[in-house]
Amino acid sequence: MTAITIDGVARNFGEVRAVDDVSLAIPNGEFFTLLGPSGCGKTTLLRMVAGFCELDRGRILFGARRVDDVAPHRRNTGMVFQNYAVFPNLDVIGNVAYGLKARRLAAGEIAARVERALKLVQLDGFARRWPHQLSGGQLQRVAIARAVVIEPEVLLLDEPLSNLDAKLRVEMRGEIRALQRTLGITVIYVTHDQEEALAMSDRIAVMRAGRLEQVAAPRAIYEQPASAFVASFVGATNLLRGAVVRRDGAVADVLVGSTTIRARLAAPPSLDRVALSLRPEALRLLGNGEAPPPGWRVLSGTLQEIEYLGAVTRFVVRLADGTPLAALALALAPPPASTGKVTLAYDPARVVVLGDGA
Amino acid sequence: MTAALVRHALPAAIGAVAAAFLGLFFLYPVLKVFGASVLDPAGTAFTLRNYAGVLTNPFFLQALSNSLVVAVAATALAILIGVPFAFCVARLPVAGKSALLALAALPLVLPSFVSAYALVLMFGRAGIVTGALRAAGIPFESIYGLKGIVTAYALTLYPYVVLPAVAAFKAIDASVEEAAQNLGAPRGRILRTVTLPLALPSILAGGLLVFIEALENFGVPFVLAEDKPILSVEAFKLFVGETADNPAAAGVLGVLLIACTVAALFAQRALLARRRYATAARRPAPLLTVRAPLRRLGSLYCWAVVATALVPFAAVVLISFLAFRGPVLQYALSLGNFAELFQRSYRPLGNTLMLAVVAAAGATLIGVPIGYVIARRRSRLSALLDLAATAPFAVAGTVLGIGLILAFGHGPLILTGTALIMIIAYMVRKLPFSVRAASAILHQIDPSLEEASINLGVAPLKTFLRITVPLMLGGIVGGGVLTFVTVASELSATVVLYSGPWTTMTVAMFQALEGTSAGVAAAAATVLILCTIVPVALVYRLLRRYELSML
Repeated sequence: MTAITIDGVARNFGEVRAVDDVSLAIPNGEFFTLLGPSGCGKTTLLRMVAGFCELDRGRILFGARRVDDVAPHRRNTGMVFQNYAVFPNLDVIGNVAYGLKARRLAAGEIAARVERALKLVQLDGFARRWPHQLSGGQLQRVAIARAVVIEPEVLLLDEPLSNLDAKLRVEMRGEIRALQRTLGITVIYVTHDQEEALAMSDRIAVMRAGRLEQVAAPRAIYEQPASAFVASFVGATNLLRGAVVRRDGAVADVLVGSTTIRARLAAPPSLDRVALSLRPEALRLLGNGEAPPPGWRVLSGTLQEIEYLGAVTRFVVRLADGTPLAALALALAPPPASTGKVTLAYDPARVVVLGDGA
Repeated sequence: MTAALVRHALPAAIGAVAAAFLGLFFLYPVLKVFGASVLDPAGTAFTLRNYAGVLTNPFFLQALSNSLVVAVAATALAILIGVPFAFCVARLPVAGKSALLALAALPLVLPSFVSAYALVLMFGRAGIVTGALRAAGIPFESIYGLKGIVTAYALTLYPYVVLPAVAAFKAIDASVEEAAQNLGAPRGRILRTVTLPLALPSILAGGLLVFIEALENFGVPFVLAEDKPILSVEAFKLFVGETADNPAAAGVLGVLLIACTVAALFAQRALLARRRYATAARRPAPLLTVRAPLRRLGSLYCWAVVATALVPFAAVVLISFLAFRGPVLQYALSLGNFAELFQRSYRPLGNTLMLAVVAAAGATLIGVPIGYVIARRRSRLSALLDLAATAPFAVAGTVLGIGLILAFGHGPLILTGTALIMIIAYMVRKLPFSVRAASAILHQIDPSLEEASINLGVAPLKTFLRITVPLMLGGIVGGGVLTFVTVASELSATVVLYSGPWTTMTVAMFQALEGTSAGVAAAAATVLILCTIVPVALVYRLLRRYELSML
């Protein structure tokens, strides 16, 4: 258990900059997630920490100890692989005891620690089973037990839930989070699933093309995205490009097409051309004659699509200038039965102003 | 940078060992053959006169054309026999499928010249069947000549087409054929426009193996060619010299053989260049439902092919237990042939077993690490290793044997007349198989298993021994046994390299054929068949998993 420092790390594969000058400081005991689309460099960065990928530049430190020149088998990291990588030639005990035997612990201590680890992942009773007799979820637990039993400095998880079905995925992510809190261990977790990242992490680093786009707590990533990429990658959003036409203290009016959208900001935007992020759930479809809440602004348009999604209903409203806007509403009240003229209301405080990313 | 050292030093060391071994015992001898072909008799000045001499000599031109005609005809026939066979096994409900596949693969491990010899015993001038045919008033000359050679090749080499073709037919995803059906194509059209084209690369790959084998084989034409010249046999005769040895002309024939193989390799690559199909079936195409007569016809065809290919071997075994008076067969059971064979010496059997064990172990020891680097490291080094380790496949055994003698018959390192030079020849020739076997198994072992072990604190080399080797063991043993078996029945390099004390079973049989001891030859053939069938049967369960990946 330790703090991890990643300092100016870079790696090229041929012409591709897989990891491009990344620096991170992960405090002891943090659940830290690398989130991004495939090919963004998140797995490469994780493998650098484990020692399976060399660095072209930069340093990696566990506490004060520099580890990027340490062989992977001497780094004392516990890694959980995407496909579990449970040794098929060893039974459950053999797998979990593998790292302890490599550390030449006494037989009694190994037995005790293996038993504790199996209990921790709720696999007591499966000790003598062989991998081919286990389900995907059980293999996942073996892989986790095997990684934590060696008491690693850091637990590295590489998309560990992607091979599980949806229901088990939700269950396992809760268990992994609980396990991490129990052990107080530092975790680096790689995923492309934004919901997983939001649900589990203390902090998230969103990566794109080898670079860090934003490093922040889940709420900040979602509510104050630092770039158009983060806003659209994490959750769904309406991304609108336009020009600032009026600044008045903390309020700015942005002309998108022929529609003016107001944003309330902590500081006025310095740019003239901006992108706006408007989350669908921040837009409210007003009923007939319903007044907007105080301070909210309204937009009018034509209701084009109604998608019933169970818990929520999704609407697509086309504004007068043709701009489509998606809106979400809890499916408590019956949605409008027909398409036609509607009014949308939004809170200018929930409009996020970003660089236009061009 | 210890991590970097482990990452790069190990493959580099393996690459260096492979380069030293192949450079010294493969490239250098082949260059010697090439050198012999372009040097004047004194061995000092460059000349093209040897080529001019061979290429204007009608006898050698006939040999070249005979060899090519035989190889092309054998390849065509093997494809004609093998593709329908493979389709029936893969897609029709034929009877006894696993037995069929096991028996179909059998000729690959049996010595092909034994089959050729059996054809002579049955269809030769004094053959059993020939006699019976003549007695019945049916005119039949004999099996000798090109037709006999092509027959022997087709019967022993067709599995090279069957095995990859079965895999290819099974690898076609059901949805592809369903899509064709959905678009309105009838069954025959689907077969012609979807199924066969998708299997074509595998069929051609198998055909290439048949072509190369047919071109380089020494024993079959030696038994069956009679007065028809064949390149591999003529190269041997020129080199060993029944009248006067002529390494220059032998070198030219050797270079011609290599050129033919290389041309075939390039032709296949050109044919397949634009046909790379990703055919990993998520849902294998189902068995076709056909009417009973067609199903019976399919079963009949498959079993007839398997039986025809194995009858010659069975015939030899049977005949070896019958009495001979001189060359004349007596219809009485007897162990006399074996008595006569072993009365001369048990040494050839001992030699064969010893040489095959040592060569199989050696090829495995060198081949597995090379296969590991090829499968696990993607670099220019591994691509180069792959190429180098496959190259011996393109050089005929006779030519390699000639090269080894030219290279190590004099000079600082003299190996001729030793068992070592034979072992080296076997190791070089079988290296492509052990390398491919190893890399094929490794492709089935997820690399993250090794990373998991390293991550848990076990050093890379120890990880290789603790995790990788146990998981590969079945494949390594299977590959080793296949190497043993093919070395035991090797003749084309052996016949050039053996010396008196290192006579092998194949040579004993070869010598019995040169004389008139038909009975002894049959007994030697039976012993050879036992030497190959027993080990294969012992590890059959292991082999079944890997025989496909070997090809």
